[in-house]
Amino acid sequence: MASTVIGAGITIEGEISADEELVVQGTIRGKLDAREGVTVEAGATVEADITSGPLTVAGTVTGNISSSDRVDLQAGARVIGNVKATRITIADGAQFKGNVDMDV
Amino acid sequence: MAQTRSPSPAMRRAADPSEAVLGAGTRVRGRVTGEGDLTVLGQLEGEVHLRGELFIGEGGQVVSDIDADALRVAGSLEGDVNVAGDVTILAGARVRGDVRGASVSLEEGADLTGRLDCEFSLPRELAGSGANDDEDGPTVRR
Repeated sequence: MASTVIGAGITIEGEISADEELVVQGTIRGKLDAREGVTVEAGATVEADITSGPLTVAGTVTGNISSSDRVDLQAGARVIGNVKATRITIADGAQFKGNVDMDV
Repeated sequence: MAQTRSPSPAMRRAADPSEAVLGAGTRVRGRVTGEGDLTVLGQLEGEVHLRGELFIGEGGQVVSDIDADALRVAGSLEGDVNVAGDVTILAGARVRGDVRGASVSLEEGADLTGRLDCEFSLPRELAGSGANDDEDGPTVRR
């Protein structure tokens, strides 16, 4: 079953809330609230605060990230903002500027 | 270590630039613009400007004016429609608003409240009766 895919040609300016897997290939500006996993693919741009389950980033995120699970910044990712998560990986080749907050 | 999580199904799928789906569990409030086809199965409230086809699937609820190349509705739509191409309102769909398209088709069982505005040629015997005082072409009211 297809969940939500914001295709490469699509731009959404506003608020998105999702109770299902979300894949971003296009552009989101505003606010993103997801209960399940979020994937920001290479080439995608998210200028929004993100609340999510597991988050995988290969594209660009500008905004604060709050994940109830893990955050994976893959090679090629560019993230500017603070990250709050239970687990985090930053791959070789990922760019990251911000603070990390892991509840301990 | 970074690759321990198996990629999500959507990640494995070849990236098709024209694919965009707002799933049933997704709500969007704001402006949606872009190129490519978009399928809405969830809720969308705001504004849509799309160079492509918008499909509002069964269960999809859209409250927005629509500017698109083509439109197919099986769900619910509230707003005015201005489409360059074809508009198809399928059985079970509910549309409230004025609909303008190059061609508009209404399936039996579709529910439309609003004006239909599309160009079509009247049969000779109906054309030029003088009773039609509409400003730009025939308009069907329901």
